[in-house]
Amino acid sequence: MAELHIIGQIVGASGFPENSLFCKWGVHTGGAWRLLSGLKEGQTQVDIPQTGDIAYWSHPIDLHYATKGLQGWPKLHLQVWHQDSFGRCQLYGYGFCHVPSSPGHHRISCATWRPLGSWQEQLAQMFVGGGPQLRSPDLIYSGADRYRLHTEAMGTVELELGLIMRHFDKYGVES
Amino acid sequence: MASPSDIREKLRKKRRALQETLVKNKNEDDVQALVPSTKLSGEKRQTTMKEPEGSEEDPGETLKRTIRAQRQRRKKRLLEQTLVQESRDDDVEEISTIQHDGAEEESAEKAHESVVSSRSPAGSQKGLFSRTQHTPSSQSQSQSLDDFVKRRLEERLRAARSKSESLQQPEASFEPASRLQSLRDRDTVTRFDREVDPDRSGRQDPPSALSARVKFREAARRVGKGLPTAEEAYNFFTFNFEPDPPDESETTSSKRQKQRKTAKDDRDEDEGDEAEEQEDAEADEDNQEENENQSEEAPLVQNAEEDLFALDQSPQDFLEVRKAEYIGYRNLIQRESDLLFTPSFRTVPTSIKLPENMKPRYLEDEGLYVGERPSVSLTNENILENRILKMEEGKKWFGDDGRIMALPDPIKESSTRPPLFHMEEDLDPALQTVYRKALKSKYANLYIAGAADPEGDYQLDVDVSGLIFSHHPLFSREHVLAARLAQLYDQYLTRQHNNLTGHLTDKLNGLRSALRNMLEIHGGQSLTQAMQQRFSEYSLEIRNTRQLRDSEQEKDRTLLKNIVKMWKEIKALREFQKFTNTPYKLYLRRENVDRASDEREHEDEILAEVLELEAESEEDYHKKLAEYNKQLEEWKLWRRKQKSKKKKRKKKKKGQAQEDTEEEDQEASESEGPVEEGPPKPEPPERPDFDSIEQQVREKASRIRRKPGEAILIPELSASGNITASELCPRAETARREDVARRSLFIKILYNDKEVSRTDSRSLNTDFRVHFGQIFNLKIVNCPQSIHLQVFEEIGSSCSLLARVFVPVPEPSVVTGNVPVEEFEFSSNQRVMFDHEGVGSDVPLSFEADGGNKQTLLTSGKLSCCVSWGIGDDDVPLAPPVSQQPGGIHSGLGRLDAVTYIGASGLYDMKKIGEWATQSRLDPNDPKNASIMQLLKVASSGEVTAPEYFRLEHLQEEFNFVTDEELERSRRFRLLRLRNQEVAEFRNYKCVPALEREVTDKVFQEYERRLKEGEIIDTKEHLDSHRALVAKYLQKIRESVINRFLLAKHHYVLSDLVIEEEIPSIGILGLNLFKLAEPKRPLKPQRKERKKVTAQNLSDGDIKLLVNIIRAFDIPIRRPQSNKPGQSSQSAIQGSDWFLSQVQVRPFVEVSFQRTVLQTTTADGPNPCWNEELQLPFSAPNGDYSTASLQSVKDEVFINIFDEVVHETGVNDKDRGKSIHTHVEKHWLGSVKIPFSTIYSQSRIDGTFKVNTPAVLLGYSKERSHGANGGYDIMRSLSEGTFVTLFITMEPQLVPGESIREKFDSQEDEHLLQASERFEREAAQGYPDRPCLTTVIDLNGKTVFITRFIRPLNPPQEFLDAFPNNPQEATALVARFVSLIPSLPDRVSFSGACDLWSTCDQFLTLLAGDEEEHAVLLCNYFLSMGKRAWLIIGTAIPEGPTAYVLTSEQSRYLIWNPSSGQYYGQYDTFCPLLTVGCLVNADNVWLNIQEYTSPMRLNFDITKANLWKPFFSRSFSHPGLSSVQPEELVYRRTDKAAAAELQDRIEKILKEKIMEWRPRHPTRWNRYCTTTLKQFLPKLEMSGGQDVTEGHRHELQSLLGDNRISGFPLHLPFSEIRPIIEAVYSTGVHSVQASNVEFALAVYVHPYPNNVLSVWVYLASLVRT
Repeated sequence: MAELHIIGQIVGASGFPENSLFCKWGVHTGGAWRLLSGLKEGQTQVDIPQTGDIAYWSHPIDLHYATKGLQGWPKLHLQVWHQDSFGRCQLYGYGFCHVPSSPGHHRISCATWRPLGSWQEQLAQMFVGGGPQLRSPDLIYSGADRYRLHTEAMGTVELELGLIMRHFDKYGVES
Repeated sequence: MASPSDIREKLRKKRRALQETLVKNKNEDDVQALVPSTKLSGEKRQTTMKEPEGSEEDPGETLKRTIRAQRQRRKKRLLEQTLVQESRDDDVEEISTIQHDGAEEESAEKAHESVVSSRSPAGSQKGLFSRTQHTPSSQSQSQSLDDFVKRRLEERLRAARSKSESLQQPEASFEPASRLQSLRDRDTVTRFDREVDPDRSGRQDPPSALSARVKFREAARRVGKGLPTAEEAYNFFTFNFEPDPPDESETTSSKRQKQRKTAKDDRDEDEGDEAEEQEDAEADEDNQEENENQSEEAPLVQNAEEDLFALDQSPQDFLEVRKAEYIGYRNLIQRESDLLFTPSFRTVPTSIKLPENMKPRYLEDEGLYVGERPSVSLTNENILENRILKMEEGKKWFGDDGRIMALPDPIKESSTRPPLFHMEEDLDPALQTVYRKALKSKYANLYIAGAADPEGDYQLDVDVSGLIFSHHPLFSREHVLAARLAQLYDQYLTRQHNNLTGHLTDKLNGLRSALRNMLEIHGGQSLTQAMQQRFSEYSLEIRNTRQLRDSEQEKDRTLLKNIVKMWKEIKALREFQKFTNTPYKLYLRRENVDRASDEREHEDEILAEVLELEAESEEDYHKKLAEYNKQLEEWKLWRRKQKSKKKKRKKKKKGQAQEDTEEEDQEASESEGPVEEGPPKPEPPERPDFDSIEQQVREKASRIRRKPGEAILIPELSASGNITASELCPRAETARREDVARRSLFIKILYNDKEVSRTDSRSLNTDFRVHFGQIFNLKIVNCPQSIHLQVFEEIGSSCSLLARVFVPVPEPSVVTGNVPVEEFEFSSNQRVMFDHEGVGSDVPLSFEADGGNKQTLLTSGKLSCCVSWGIGDDDVPLAPPVSQQPGGIHSGLGRLDAVTYIGASGLYDMKKIGEWATQSRLDPNDPKNASIMQLLKVASSGEVTAPEYFRLEHLQEEFNFVTDEELERSRRFRLLRLRNQEVAEFRNYKCVPALEREVTDKVFQEYERRLKEGEIIDTKEHLDSHRALVAKYLQKIRESVINRFLLAKHHYVLSDLVIEEEIPSIGILGLNLFKLAEPKRPLKPQRKERKKVTAQNLSDGDIKLLVNIIRAFDIPIRRPQSNKPGQSSQSAIQGSDWFLSQVQVRPFVEVSFQRTVLQTTTADGPNPCWNEELQLPFSAPNGDYSTASLQSVKDEVFINIFDEVVHETGVNDKDRGKSIHTHVEKHWLGSVKIPFSTIYSQSRIDGTFKVNTPAVLLGYSKERSHGANGGYDIMRSLSEGTFVTLFITMEPQLVPGESIREKFDSQEDEHLLQASERFEREAAQGYPDRPCLTTVIDLNGKTVFITRFIRPLNPPQEFLDAFPNNPQEATALVARFVSLIPSLPDRVSFSGACDLWSTCDQFLTLLAGDEEEHAVLLCNYFLSMGKRAWLIIGTAIPEGPTAYVLTSEQSRYLIWNPSSGQYYGQYDTFCPLLTVGCLVNADNVWLNIQEYTSPMRLNFDITKANLWKPFFSRSFSHPGLSSVQPEELVYRRTDKAAAAELQDRIEKILKEKIMEWRPRHPTRWNRYCTTTLKQFLPKLEMSGGQDVTEGHRHELQSLLGDNRISGFPLHLPFSEIRPIIEAVYSTGVHSVQASNVEFALAVYVHPYPNNVLSVWVYLASLVRT
């Protein structure tokens, strides 16, 4: 009956071709985990930075989990979206990272990628926006077949997570 | 006709004609049309041109003329366009002009092209492209035109240029590249054609053409001076000065005809021609250049010559016959050798390659890096060197080392490019192909059925490891013996290995001990049947085992003896023959034993055996004895019978005389008896001879066992002996050995009698062993039926079959790798004899010296091999399914072999193995069974019970910290989760303990109880079972509605999240500036808009309720108590007042909210002005300040008006005078209730409210002051009652929850919904402050059109009967009835989610509803009573948006407040209705489009379309909507008894409460007064609270005499007990401090139909004076 608090924020993103970005995020856990309180998925606001490349969101994450096993340690999956000047949203990147397994403060930068698509799609993307997306976004954190995808590297998302673990030592998990 | 331009033009016409036919007709025609022209043009052009012209009716001809005429007209324009040609971009220009052509032209052209391309290009293309110049003016050569034209040209050129440029650009971009390409291609062809053109023109009339050209030039030169460029001008004029061919007369004559014919074409051609002409112009441009080059020089003449003379001369004149020219090979070579250089392929000496006196220098030798040169064959290099040397400066190609300079080999050895994996383009896995080998044909009948997958072939592995002969014809005698010895030894070894003897001995011992134990335990006692059974079974088992063991022991012993004997024989033979043939040596190892223990064991063994045997024989004897006895008995019986018979017979014989006949039969039968001889007399069994038994046992033991103390002999056979070399052997032996060496063996493998493989042949060794060691993998398709191996012996080249060995087809479970090699014996009956030492085969052989004891030995041996099923790559046995096995193998044996019994797959099934083990009675001690027994033991212990389910992550369990149940059980987690889920009980639970043990079960008690008792209705809290049911029902509806809105509630508006300061616009700034200049009026403060605060980040104490009490009117005044002695003092106080005649009242206002009570200062007079602000703290339930929670706050703000009464309790007599005790009492005069939800949703309440005054106020009179009192008079005269002006708001201002306008499913017509949406939208735009409703949501969550709710419905009959003559009274009664139904705002019950409308029957069942429901019901009642009634949708104070009822009576309109039952005239000042948005009745909805919204200023004449905008108008008529209301309302009579009971309960509760509120003072109840009051209450009810005041007061006064009474009746609709208590509390009656106070409380519940209850509470306090 160990408990895990994940408290932190999605700080922002950098390195994307455009900087008017927002982020959809979610935490995926295995069956042994139970969410006691908090929201395990959400979406940030759109940040349109006036200067600089980094879009800041400072979106809070506050989760409290109880678990009966280590399997399925929480993973954080992200989707960075871009809102263009017409107000259209298009996918800019998928990212995924494990929630750190040691307590304390962590600064995580999560690299993102996006499916490339065929050249026709790329051409279309250049002119009319949009772009290929995963049909099942579960693939972000569970895909064994991902090597088949042609992808393009996008920017990184910065996260700051603080972890508090409780009673893990009772079950022989040293941290 | 002769001029080239003319011909060209004709050609063009022709082409057009062709094109037209192409367009109109089929291709065939086109071809036909084309063919002649092409042919002819090839032959002779002039005639070709003429031919079409000659034919009169040629459409091309007529066309041509029309067009020519038109062209004349267009000349000027065309000129411009030709100039446009100047622009560089020819291709684009072409396109642009072609674009003009239009579709028809283009397609025609295309078609033409396509046809043409299949033909000979030259001729046809010309037709297309040599269409020529525009027809210039007839006086083309006239110079007079020049100047004019020049000027025009200058102007137009500029215009045309710009135009063409503008045209070009966009059109070029439209054109796809392919089109461009084709056009370009064509252009080149055009050029080719043009070369022909000038020829032709030259041919036609060379001199004239030349002269014309000269003229053109001149003209051009002249023109060139004035024009922008010379070239332009030149081009232009060359076109322009083409001679004009047409004869005008012809043209005009046929004009009409042509026009008629081609009227349509003209239009197309207008454009088409332009294009063509431009092209032509271009062509001519080219022509000009060509002409310059060609026509003016030689070629013209040449061509002309040839052509001219060709006609006149015959072919012979030109021809001569010559023989073929031949140059001889040698000559050829010679000639070539002069011209050609053939470099030699000899190596060039270095000296030649290098400059003189230079030694070659090898960089490599000097240690410099020289890259590897590319490999070139030496010959090639030599040739190259030789050739280079011949060249000028040839030597510079050579490096210092004398070789041709070369860069290092550029080819890298390894590829630098990484291997490119061809990725499938994200192909769906389902779509990807799998390479499969070619399919084999289907199998025949014999083949293994079910082998659907041809890849899953079955494979048999045949392992032939070797061969050992146990006898071979070439055996020598010694060999025979040795073989025997070896055989015996093998036998011994296997026996030793199996250790059957020892094993059986163990078993025997075990059995014996078991038996002994049994005997000991049950010793002496009588044994049960079962035990005896077991006992006997055991002894039987022991006997069997013993016998088995004995035989085994005997065998062992004999085997050992035989081995020793055989060895002795061998030794003897070796002695005898003086040489050894075999390497065998036998050692006998002696193992000493402890003699004493051995002997003891031996003795014990014998004893035990003896005992057993004795017991057995004893038993045997007993059995036999029993048998004997039985037989004896039988025999005796028989004997006795016999005897008796005999006696009988004797008797009978005596009396035979009498009954002769009868007896005879009997006798006959009886006589047979002795004949069929009786059982023989049994022999008594012998008693067993115990002594002999022991003797026997000892004898046997000595025979089969070693003697006690004798050493154990262990034979060891080794093949370490030396074989005598052949040289030392006698001749015969040598011959034998030679013979042996000659032999070799091989084995054929036959599968299903077909040879499939054979081993290599191996030579026979001297020890007669052959090792093959080969494994054959047989891929099989057919069912295995037989596998046999044939052993062949090869002598030289001939081979003979020695033997065949049949190998059984293996079981499917027998798989390669787990099968030991088996030995199969074989033998052959061939008779072989030798003349040497070899013993031969099938030949009698004797080892005895005397030749006796002959033995015949046959060739025999053992083949060690094994056959098993192969294993595939994935460890799957390549064996066919079991069912395919030919039967017969599963016989009795099957039981013993677990695998065959269960099947290979069953091996993993514990149950089956267990079954098999019990059935086959496995011997647990048998080492063979050890593994199975182990398995069974584990299985039966229950440790490894085969699970019934299949687990995916079976290891997960092991890593889990806790089980699910434990996790569920955790109270802390549960608490956290419930809090997160916002379960009502835990919604705002602030602190969850950190430790599990700190969370008590108590926390959940309430929650669990709620869950458990969800269905049970608590009647105690509700006093009334019906209402309890209703409350439950309401709760359910509420839950369902909330669920419905759950999703919508999560919809946040920007203002919920972002608080943004409004950016001041210029207009606002300007206004503010303007305001600065405004005169300050501090005495007239105005309210400003405040910032709104979202409710989410608030906490307790942040919110305050601001109540601003401004003034009140017409407060009841005290009635002078004339008969009171204390009056003088009061009047004295009054006397000090400024208005003497005024009866004094000192009112103050007390505001109570959430049990916080604040009050204003006391003012004077009936029209006081306080203007005070009170701040009341607000705390939300559970500290939850969310919008939803705030909306459901049910608290009400009570604003009570009290009269402060000061009593002097008289002068204290003792001190004589100075101190005066005063007593302050407050008397309740009336109250205003405002629900918090109203304040929240309205955000502020501002207005004058009618104070809810009790019907009777003892000690006060409502009589108006008679004195004139300023301007209020007029207004006061209009209305009765007391009013108070209030302003209530909240600090900070909260954002009220948005009511969600979700789209609900509806059964209404789509048109209607759209129309209503439009109507509402327009209303909202045009009149934003006027509420307009057309559709509402019913209880089922469906959108319903509002008019469906209006329908005449019958009020309870008793109301109508009550005042049959006075409809006015009845109306009031009905209104009163409606107002008695408790009001419950929707936003309270449904947490502000929406406004739900219920139908009247639902409303009457629920007995709770909003103003709308009240209004609808009242309106429906009024309609049924024959009134004209409408529903008013508007806003009122304090409710906000609400619904009122409008009736029209005798030329005036009445506005009814359905919740209070009061009505107001249209012009009533204090009418709570402030704005009127729209009116609704059963037929229509009218929107107020008048200037004002206040009812006072409205005209309610709905027929006026400019005042009221109807929903259903002439354009959109009423579709006949049926009502959702029931046809008739059914009323239940309320149970009077229940009402009485309720009355008692309320009274009791109230009394308790009042006592509770006075904890410090005794509360005395004046019974007398109470009964009086009680009698009075029904009267009040009857009169509706009117007009009984006076009489009642007098009555009371007279009754109670000298008591000072203050009291009042309260009237409430009944919903719950709580509001009643609240109302009583708010009056503050209980707070009277006087010691001698007494109370009177009377409750009266009047039942109305349908359980509508009117509750009266009469409260009075009596102070004795």
